[in-house]
Amino acid sequence: MSVADGTTARGIGASVLRREDARHLDGRGEFVPDIRLPGIRDVAFLRSPHAHARIKSIRVPPGMKGRIFTAADLPRIQPIRVVTQAAGAKSPPWPPLATDKVRYVGEAIAVCVAPTRGDAEDLANNIQVEYEVLDAAVDAPQVWRGSRHLVHESWGDNLYLERVIEGGDIEAAARAAEITVTREYRMNRQSGAPMEGRAVLAYRDHRLDEVVVYASTQTPHTVRVALGEILGIEQRRIRVVAPDVGGGFGPKARLYPEEVILAALALELDHPVRWIEDRSENLLTCAHTRDHHYKVTAYADRQGKVLGVDCEIIVDAGAYGLWPQGPYQEANMAGRTLPGPYTIANYRARTYTVATNKTPLGPYRGVGRPGACFAIERTIDEVARAVGRDPAEVRIENMIRSEQMPFASVAGMRYDTGDYPASVKLCAELLDMPRVRARQKQGEADGRLIGIGFASFTEQTAHGAAEFASRGASIIPGFESCTARILPDGSLVLHVGIQSHGQGLETTLSQIACQELGIDPSHISVRHGDTESTAFGFGTFASRSMVMSGGAVARASRMLRDKLCRIGAHLLQCDPADVRCEGGAVHGPQGSVTIGEIANVAHLRMDGLPPGVDPLLDMTATYEPQISTGVFSYATHGAVVAVDAETGFIELLDFAVAEDCGTMVNPMIVEGQIRGGVAQGIGTALYEEIPYDAQGQPLAVTFADYLMPGAAELPAIKIGHMHTPASATEYGMKGMGEGGAVAPPAAIANAVRDALAALGAEVNETPLTPARVLAAIQKAKAAAA
Amino acid sequence: MSAIRYRLNGADLSEDVAPRLSLADLLRERHNLTATHLGCEHGVCGACTVLVDGMPARACLMLAVTCDDRQIHSLEGLRDDPIIAALRDSFHRRHAVQCGFCTPGMLISARDLIQRGRAGSEAEIRQGLAGNLCRCTGYTNIVSAIAEAAKTMAAQGAAQGKGS
Amino acid sequence: MKPAAVDYARPRSLSQALELLARPNIEARVIAGGQSLVAMMNLRVASPGLLVDIARLPDLGSVTEEDSTVFYGACVTHAMIEDRVGPDPSQGLMPKIAETLAYRAVRNRGTIGGSLALADPAAEWPAVLAALDATAIIEGWNGKKAVACKDFVTGIYETRLGAGEIIVAIWVPKLSPQARWGYVKLARKAGEFALSLAVAVRDPARGYARVVLGAADGPPLVLDATSRLCARGRVDSGAAREAIAADLARAADRQFDTFHRSLHATAALRALTQATQAAP
Repeated sequence: MSVADGTTARGIGASVLRREDARHLDGRGEFVPDIRLPGIRDVAFLRSPHAHARIKSIRVPPGMKGRIFTAADLPRIQPIRVVTQAAGAKSPPWPPLATDKVRYVGEAIAVCVAPTRGDAEDLANNIQVEYEVLDAAVDAPQVWRGSRHLVHESWGDNLYLERVIEGGDIEAAARAAEITVTREYRMNRQSGAPMEGRAVLAYRDHRLDEVVVYASTQTPHTVRVALGEILGIEQRRIRVVAPDVGGGFGPKARLYPEEVILAALALELDHPVRWIEDRSENLLTCAHTRDHHYKVTAYADRQGKVLGVDCEIIVDAGAYGLWPQGPYQEANMAGRTLPGPYTIANYRARTYTVATNKTPLGPYRGVGRPGACFAIERTIDEVARAVGRDPAEVRIENMIRSEQMPFASVAGMRYDTGDYPASVKLCAELLDMPRVRARQKQGEADGRLIGIGFASFTEQTAHGAAEFASRGASIIPGFESCTARILPDGSLVLHVGIQSHGQGLETTLSQIACQELGIDPSHISVRHGDTESTAFGFGTFASRSMVMSGGAVARASRMLRDKLCRIGAHLLQCDPADVRCEGGAVHGPQGSVTIGEIANVAHLRMDGLPPGVDPLLDMTATYEPQISTGVFSYATHGAVVAVDAETGFIELLDFAVAEDCGTMVNPMIVEGQIRGGVAQGIGTALYEEIPYDAQGQPLAVTFADYLMPGAAELPAIKIGHMHTPASATEYGMKGMGEGGAVAPPAAIANAVRDALAALGAEVNETPLTPARVLAAIQKAKAAAA
Repeated sequence: MSAIRYRLNGADLSEDVAPRLSLADLLRERHNLTATHLGCEHGVCGACTVLVDGMPARACLMLAVTCDDRQIHSLEGLRDDPIIAALRDSFHRRHAVQCGFCTPGMLISARDLIQRGRAGSEAEIRQGLAGNLCRCTGYTNIVSAIAEAAKTMAAQGAAQGKGS
Repeated sequence: MKPAAVDYARPRSLSQALELLARPNIEARVIAGGQSLVAMMNLRVASPGLLVDIARLPDLGSVTEEDSTVFYGACVTHAMIEDRVGPDPSQGLMPKIAETLAYRAVRNRGTIGGSLALADPAAEWPAVLAALDATAIIEGWNGKKAVACKDFVTGIYETRLGAGEIIVAIWVPKLSPQARWGYVKLARKAGEFALSLAVAVRDPARGYARVVLGAADGPPLVLDATSRLCARGRVDSGAAREAIAADLARAADRQFDTFHRSLHATAALRALTQATQAAP
């Protein structure tokens, strides 16, 4: 048998241009709202205007029955239930349409069906709901303990889960400390806000006896699992399709009530039903994200070597848990990530996942890691300042060195490969630190203050069974699948269980197949996002697709290659050991036969097959990395800011990323993912927030109030690469899709700290709005006086 | 219902529309021209940008009924436009597309910048894109793609001006 | 969200428009560019019964001039001002305002009259037109009237427009070539509404100086003491800060929190400095 030719120009490492581009640049993308079926009716929801209320009655005008549905009208819908094995965790049932109570502003109460969305909204205005308004639990640190303002009455408190993560001896570290630094940090609630909101189109296919659900989702197969359970239908009678999806970022990797309700309506009614989320619904009811409170104490020696970290993490998880994982992973991940890329030997994190009368919290690029990075990286900077040293030096001295890899962190993570200190140095080079310092010294003509700041992190990617099991998950996304099928003409189709929504997987997965089979990507199609045509897979999230799905593609491709070589050798009448598969053909000592010719034999001329070889060229493989505790990408981000100390406005002058994700399949796409992630991280750092008032009303539900960075707010983002391959994945790849969003808030806050160093002002809350910056400056001036 | 007569992607049309129907929904739902996307319906995100009488406008904020006597171009009607062709090429080569949802509106706004001579520097392009949000790319490649297409168009224009 | 059902009329003349607006028992609203109104209708925070489309009425769409005044039809778009279509009475101030107002696609349709009539507290034109001593020309069923722009906005989304009245034109006196101005817009991102907005205009040849604050939680706020200082030319920053603080304190009807008060003071000072330090 032969091995793959590693020098193909369109395989691993090539910046192959994307095949996805053609349809999008031509205006022929197909997103859920673009799909046309005869007889579609649009749907609008009546949603709760109150954060917490009992529903005393719902009155629908008599003529409108059959067009307006409440929970009572759709009895087949069972509550959504997150099942978790995490010890002590509570999991509330979530009725997709509210029954006796509403628990957050925006919770769906009734669904209206009409020829157009405008008509459906008109219908919704006719429904009369009588509410008994209750006090809302809004302030997570205040409400989790007591029994007032219970979100779920049977609980006795407002705690989904309390968990302590610890290692070493924190009390000993406290005793040995020469320096103690304590800070509180807050990463405020925000939204993932993809440009395309959610959408669901559902109808009954009578020929196939199934209900078809088109959804703007990252995880079609698991949505099918959920719909089967909740609606009581066998999964063979449900098809879920994610066509083009206009951004996901995590919030679309969860099951939503609307998906359940639309499927139920399709079963009930004789026509297709469609829900297209508008932007207010998206900001209001699509998973909210981040919303962490931290209290961190670092114990250090007088050089700044951190002896131990003790912290408390509160996650405001909202009123319900999003299926399948619920809200538990956020605090768990923050708690296990907070020790960062450092050799901290003593640690304790007391974590609390709190229920409030707010929109349920879900994953968003980085999940718990941006908050944890913010907390530890700000703290490292403060430790450095407390001992009078440069933060970059103190950071490096505390870091795990590459010789110490693999390294078992005090929080139980296993860091595999990497050179963390090198990333700090590379990032400083990218920003030309000496020039920034010189500019800082010189002063600006307009009086603004220049600052430079860094933040480093290491992050778990492509984690599998062991990791999810340790979280108590009842659904373990521990593998991915690929069916690789060569058709009678020799062209190749890869059917994969992930779902590409901007990551370019239609291109990069074909590069992997090209690497193994020598078939050019222009002869390869990738089918994804459809439960009909792909073996079971979990979807695209957790920076897992290249490692997991790419690994499955590699395995299936190699299985195909072996069969091609066997058949090819037979056709060439030579020994299989003497052939190789390359450039679209199998080559032997005395000739070649194309893959197309082999495929013809395997399908249409099976009389030409060698004995013992079955027809078809069709292989299905699954893949999980040998080490399922994850492979760790890492980076250092750096920001240069100009702060106007009179207005609190921050301008981002420069931003750089020095990163290492091992082997890059397509460097162009890797850099695109980094830049996109960084832009979102900058959004978290400076712009994005959904505040809630004391009654539980969200205060930013349109793009007039919810600000996201545009091109004018961002500098060109510089990137430097390091390459330390993973030891336990195909080709040494590591996941990297989320990393860009993890460190910008910390890097920017550290840069602002540097800019305002003379004033002694710190801003420890995101977004760093002008109001917060000015308040920090006033506070520092008052303290100095 | 109100009657309107207008030109859509070069074709003269005459139809009745409910006053509350937006131009975006007229294009998408009645004419199956789905390149124009709806991202916010409050005029901020730019995904719905089309040309009205040759100038970029928000299809989500234009009532179809006000399009009487106007010329409308969606991306589908600009497939042969030379500036769009240059932009398609540079967007592809510079990886300026990820999920594709913002792309049609982005192309139409970019075309307008190039046509008005407002794509001469990175800073100018970034300002000019204030009304087109992208959540995927971080804008770096979009900006460089527009700069490149602007140079291509300038070179073409210079070549034509020099007369062959 | 989609708007509620609405009726629509496109009158062929101004008097037809006024007649439609005067009809009883129907909430009629003028639509010009629609960039604010349709957004509000999409969110169902505005649900008029009848839209009266004046966008293409003749005479409302042009920029003309006489000796000392430039006349803007109410339906002149922000893009026309940005592109300097027609004469500019403001020595570059109005084009500068226009180019950072919202986004180009919105500027292509949104109108100066529409912006003034809506009177969003954070909008640019009400403050700028007050600073330029412009006049709004209003027509209603019972005739025409002229209202100084500094008095035109009376509250948040409230103006001197009576029932059935529309702005038909805005008259802007021409600044002399020696005039100088300062403009500061503090917004967190390009195209967004301002957190604070200050315009200072000084035209010594006409003995005119005015400093106005926008995004000031109400109508544009004319800063009287600051304006008097502006008239004098070179300004001592200590005296300027005092005058601005006094003007802000006198605005008893405004509820400025510490942050906004501080921003307004800074914006006003910077605009004043721009207007008085630029070489004459």
